[in-house]
Amino acid sequence: MRNLLLAFRNVLRHKRKTFAVLVALIIGLAGLVVFQGFVSDLMREWRDESILSGIGHLQVAGKPGYFDDGEFNPYDYPFPQSAKVASQLEREPGVRAVFPSTGFVAIAGFGDESTNLLVKGYPTDRMFFAAQTGLVKPPPDRFFLGTLQAGNPIRPGDHNVLILGQTIARILKASVGDTVTLMTILPGSQLTGRDFVIGGIFTAPQQDNLFGYTDYDTAVDFTQLAQAPVLDVLLDGVGRVDTVAASLPAGVSFRTWKDLATTFAQVNSLLYSILSVIRVVILLVTLFILANVMNRVVVERMREWGTLRALGTKKRGILAIVVWEGGLMGALGAALGIVLGFAIATAINLRGGLTFNQGAQITQIFVHPGLDSVLVNIIPAALVGGLAALFPALRAIRLSPSECLREV
Amino acid sequence: MALIKVKGVQKVYTLEKTQMTAVRNVSLEIQAGERVCLMGPSGSGKSTLLNIIGCVDKASEGDILIDGEDASKLSDARLSDFRNRTMGFIFQNFNLIPVLSVFENVEYPLLLQRVSSRERKERVNTLLAKVGLADFARRSPERLSGGQRQRVAIARALVTNPKLVIADEPTASLDHATGKVVMELMVEMNRSAGSTLVFATHDPAVAEFAGRIVSMMDGQVVEDRSRS
Repeated sequence: MRNLLLAFRNVLRHKRKTFAVLVALIIGLAGLVVFQGFVSDLMREWRDESILSGIGHLQVAGKPGYFDDGEFNPYDYPFPQSAKVASQLEREPGVRAVFPSTGFVAIAGFGDESTNLLVKGYPTDRMFFAAQTGLVKPPPDRFFLGTLQAGNPIRPGDHNVLILGQTIARILKASVGDTVTLMTILPGSQLTGRDFVIGGIFTAPQQDNLFGYTDYDTAVDFTQLAQAPVLDVLLDGVGRVDTVAASLPAGVSFRTWKDLATTFAQVNSLLYSILSVIRVVILLVTLFILANVMNRVVVERMREWGTLRALGTKKRGILAIVVWEGGLMGALGAALGIVLGFAIATAINLRGGLTFNQGAQITQIFVHPGLDSVLVNIIPAALVGGLAALFPALRAIRLSPSECLREV
Repeated sequence: MALIKVKGVQKVYTLEKTQMTAVRNVSLEIQAGERVCLMGPSGSGKSTLLNIIGCVDKASEGDILIDGEDASKLSDARLSDFRNRTMGFIFQNFNLIPVLSVFENVEYPLLLQRVSSRERKERVNTLLAKVGLADFARRSPERLSGGQRQRVAIARALVTNPKLVIADEPTASLDHATGKVVMELMVEMNRSAGSTLVFATHDPAVAEFAGRIVSMMDGQVVEDRSRS
């Protein structure tokens, strides 16, 4: 403790010098904390968007293989107990909505034009399309499937109505009110077809060239499915996922949003890797600066080391004082950087955060650095400070006390 | 019984390819309770011999026994403990730790001995009172005069009740009057503590405070006389 006390007082003794040395670390970590808070909120927002874009917090199917190739081939993966599982899930705390869905691959034809598309069928009260004008925040118990460029959403009771992606509608040269013919293959290679009225045309990045939406009852009827192949589950928050998944009966298969939101997971991992690289660079710069400073400190205070040795301090005591000093400087710099980072984040949040518009959807990003940013920055900075001081400290104990005492 | 036995001690420094002998074949014995002055001009080897006696430097050749212990055979860690328990040091430039208060500076050697908090407080306060600095206990050494700083150093040297007190040019950084006061205090406290005092100086006036003067020149003892 006496070594720590000596180190602490030495760090505080030269406040200006210490501060000047730590400026790089303080600025670097403040920037990192703000960026980390921004990324954290951005990813949280994107995560919630991904979940509501048709993934759900949880998807439950009757057989494991459904999640490999069953989404548009549900015949091979029957889920006879789906209604029972749905009613059981609805009773679980934190469950916002449980609803069936299905999908099929179809060829759409209109006039002389035709194209392939994937049609998803959801209950009408679980589909949400934003209007073209005005910014909206999608409700948390529905899937947000895009922005309507024309037409209306499918209303309860509507059947054989299709909401078509804008790109597909352009390929088909079809508009709202037109009737397109969808053809799909049933089990036993039986071809079936049906006319659908285009109720609306939606836009959504990377979706409107591939997808069309209809109501669940029409989809089931058209594909002649006996029961829902999959249940989509929306929860109060991602924290409930594991508990709800654990409550599922044996024999059913499920995927969580983490398994299904692969793009999100990849980008999330990439961003946190970038953060780690930035942190490593900042720490390397700190290591270099602190090593130089501690080297100078050790040389300047050689007589002090000699005095302490003469009074009876062992070599490891001197080593501890110098290493503590480096570690404390690193920790202090990190702490100041984090405080500055939190202050900047608070200022940004008080000004209303950062607003991004994506079509009709408004995304407001606040900067909320988590408490984890305290630990992941202070501990490495303290360790780097200690490491930076280690070699100068070894230099301090290499000389005999009399050699140290002779230094002026 | 002699507290210090120096026999055939030699100290050679090697600077690049040049060898310089700082102490040449010195032998002497110092009895417990003696007040010995190593006297001589700069470069005479008195500080080097003092460092060897104080176990902060090692002799190139020869034997040295302090209180019956052969310091050359002790590991660095045990030598540190030995210095802490057996010796007190007073330096020319006071060498107080700037980040510690007066009280903490005097307390430091006791912390190394793991003396209890109550006893530490008692011993430090007693000594600070003896050196006339009881009211300065919480003050930083940087806010003291040279004479006051050296009095703190004296208290620090004596706080562990050492058998041997080593003082290297204790008055060299002080004016004549302050140096005299410091020497008087050092002698008085040394006498009351019953410890052995070995100090180095080039000032004949300061040497007068010793009971025995060992004069050195070019690393050798040229005279060893006791004063009545």
